[in-house]
Amino acid sequence: MIDRREQWLAHAVLGAFTLIALAPVVKIVLGAGSFATAWEDGNFDSYLRSSAIVAAAVVAISTVLSILAGYAFGLMRFRGEQVLFYVILLGLTVPMEAIVVPLYYDLRDVGMTDTYWALILPQAALSTAFGTFWMRAFFRSVPRSLIEAARLDGSSSWMTLWRIVLPLGRPAVLTMVALVFMWTWNEFLLALVMVSDESLRTAPLGLAFFQGRNTSDEGLLAAGALIVAAPVVLVYLFLQRHFIRGTLSGAVKG
Amino acid sequence: MTRPPGEPRRVAYLYLLPGLALFGAFVLYPLGRAGWISLFEWNGVTRGTWVGLENYGALARDADLRRAFAHTAVLLLFYAALPVAIGLLLAGAASRTRVRGLAAIRTILFLPQVIALVVVAVTWRLIYQPTGWLGDFDLALPAVGLIGTWVTYGLCFVLFMAGVQKVPRSLYDAARVDGAGPLREFFAVTLPAVKGEIAVALTLCTIAALRNFDVVYLTTAGGPGDATAVPALEVYERAFQTGEVGLAAAIGACLAAIIFLLSFAINRTADRAART
Amino acid sequence: MSAVAFREVSKRFGRVEAVRRLTLEVADGELVVLVGPSGSGKTTALRMLAGLEAVDAGRIEIDGRVVNDVAPRARDVAMVFQDYALYPQMTVRDNMAFGLRRRGLPRAEIERRVTETCRTLGLGELLGRRPRELSGGQQQRVALGRALVREPSVLLMDEPLSNLDAQLRVQARGEIRRLQREVGTTTVYVTHDQVEALTLGDRVAVMNQGRLEQVGTPEQLYDEPANAFVGGFIGSPPMSFLPWDGALLGVRPEHVRPWDESPPSLLGPIEGRVAYVEALGRETLVGVRTETGATLVTVLEGRARLEVGEPLRVGLVESGVRRFGA
Repeated sequence: MIDRREQWLAHAVLGAFTLIALAPVVKIVLGAGSFATAWEDGNFDSYLRSSAIVAAAVVAISTVLSILAGYAFGLMRFRGEQVLFYVILLGLTVPMEAIVVPLYYDLRDVGMTDTYWALILPQAALSTAFGTFWMRAFFRSVPRSLIEAARLDGSSSWMTLWRIVLPLGRPAVLTMVALVFMWTWNEFLLALVMVSDESLRTAPLGLAFFQGRNTSDEGLLAAGALIVAAPVVLVYLFLQRHFIRGTLSGAVKG
Repeated sequence: MTRPPGEPRRVAYLYLLPGLALFGAFVLYPLGRAGWISLFEWNGVTRGTWVGLENYGALARDADLRRAFAHTAVLLLFYAALPVAIGLLLAGAASRTRVRGLAAIRTILFLPQVIALVVVAVTWRLIYQPTGWLGDFDLALPAVGLIGTWVTYGLCFVLFMAGVQKVPRSLYDAARVDGAGPLREFFAVTLPAVKGEIAVALTLCTIAALRNFDVVYLTTAGGPGDATAVPALEVYERAFQTGEVGLAAAIGACLAAIIFLLSFAINRTADRAART
Repeated sequence: MSAVAFREVSKRFGRVEAVRRLTLEVADGELVVLVGPSGSGKTTALRMLAGLEAVDAGRIEIDGRVVNDVAPRARDVAMVFQDYALYPQMTVRDNMAFGLRRRGLPRAEIERRVTETCRTLGLGELLGRRPRELSGGQQQRVALGRALVREPSVLLMDEPLSNLDAQLRVQARGEIRRLQREVGTTTVYVTHDQVEALTLGDRVAVMNQGRLEQVGTPEQLYDEPANAFVGGFIGSPPMSFLPWDGALLGVRPEHVRPWDESPPSLLGPIEGRVAYVEALGRETLVGVRTETGATLVTVLEGRARLEVGEPLRVGLVESGVRRFGA
């Protein structure tokens, strides 16, 4: 029998911290001023478009590359497999802060700063490291007999991947897409360093500049913040389980 | 051991090629370059001068840099210790009784992890505005720290809940029958079950503390004065504002090394804990 | 020329020798069962024949052609897996057509074969369903159909019935036997169940720890086991063993008779005590513990009125006794 009082206490504690988590969000939602003004003055339509382009490209590139590489790691045996896999794991721990400096100066030398590619390629590379690790785990969970049956039926490795194995991995791919989308959309440092052309600014960067111009107008700032956060939060609300499970298993194994 | 005929062998490399090429070009190569650049004194414009490991020596000698790392140590309290404690408290509470709406609670608690740190920074700046803490020499760092706490305690909770849910109900029942109160039950049943998860949580939180550029840049920009200077910010400022690119690369390399070693070490501990 | 031949085939996994110098020939149209306890190497042998495992030593031949280095798809073999391995996201029709499409057969031919095989196996209405919508027995038949529709030179079956419940298993066994005779495909069948082996196989190959102990017709294995292992493995209840004159005698329950039945023609007398009595309705199994410690099992008609502990004198029918080196 659980103590009535204990139960109340437990609920109270959980409730309190839930409210604390929610409070700033509520403040922003309630305090948001004119979206229209923020949108126009703040140029958020341009910023959202840039973010969408970059996110779409990063997700597309890293998803395909991760599926291919994860397939090889998960279901094929080849020389150097262990070493290469450790290299990928290493990539999982590399922070943007460590590579943004050389990336900037090297890309500047080839005139590639201030392009979408400067934002897309590094993020796609980092996401592919995660994605490979993630898809490998999925591929390894596929029953061997299924692959063998396909091999006996004369299926090539390519056909087996796309027709037989991958259809089983819709949840895994969806989770990967959700996480990569979130990380890419929310990325700030890379954009700050690479982009100075306003037409290429992504949403987080746009918001930072917006804050710089509007330190006094709380309502406008809140509106802008909401606009930037909304897409990921919406996707999160639809795919919560994926986000949480993805972060958990990714974290525990990586 | 020979391979069965027809099993994909060399074709594996073809599957790997695109991903590895991209990864090599935009992660491994820059990482190597960072290491190389860190051995030079360079302003980003003219030719750099070779200084060997001087930059790393500066990390130890430069008062500003030492302060930045010291600040990180303080922030660890807020980014790691506090959230883990809160996470344990919440997981302990949730494990003890049947909580109504646990799914909704979990969704809300995890929300801060999903919001862009830029948005988090802008939001909290607005929250702190009337208090003036971000402008206070003594309170600015803790204030920034609390933002970190807010961002990560939900993650810790979710992690620990996953660990708690693996504990068979019967263990809790047995403890209760033995007359265990909430505290005893927590230390006897809950805590041992989440040892691995605590290790993971500490790793993730520490990494978050090291990678806090977004939050610091947009709330205090390192100020007032040097009160909230952190290594991540130093990398940016020295690479792009003060023309000390070599030093910036060294700091960045340090951060990467710390994160790597931490992940490695804590992973080993987690493996060992999982095996017991 | 045999359809399938193993010639001194060996395979090891690390330090474990899974298959040791296996030599076995399967005639065209024959159904040979590889039977043995787990770890006997029977599945490994089958997988080497399929091309799913590499051969360390020796040769595997299909229709006289050495296939050691030939990829599975080029061997013209089809396999039924223990867990059926049906493609989960495809319908039954697509499951069966997949292999045929990969081989570039014309659409009309594929349609014809699929329809016919489905009719033979009674899968007609299930063509549009997905594997997860089917019962275990139906899935098993689809797996069989997927293999048969290929009209392979050799059909391989890896314990295809072990996931079915007992009743279904007996039924399916009969169906497989009938089908194989009808279609006439050379078949190699692996099972750990010796009853299954004896009822299905034209010939049965008993394997133990990677070695082929004996290969022969079910009658040969039953009546003339080559060694104690085969004697003890084949037949239920299995053979009893008794040390005698420095050797080991193996004898089946029907050849252990109570002494007073017809003493002069029996080997014995052997003194013993009843160790257990199992009434099976039509007959009773009685375990008799002898002075040597060995237990002889005898089968008596009807219900025997015997009590545990009761002394019982038995004799052995000489013609049914097999002598093995001790």
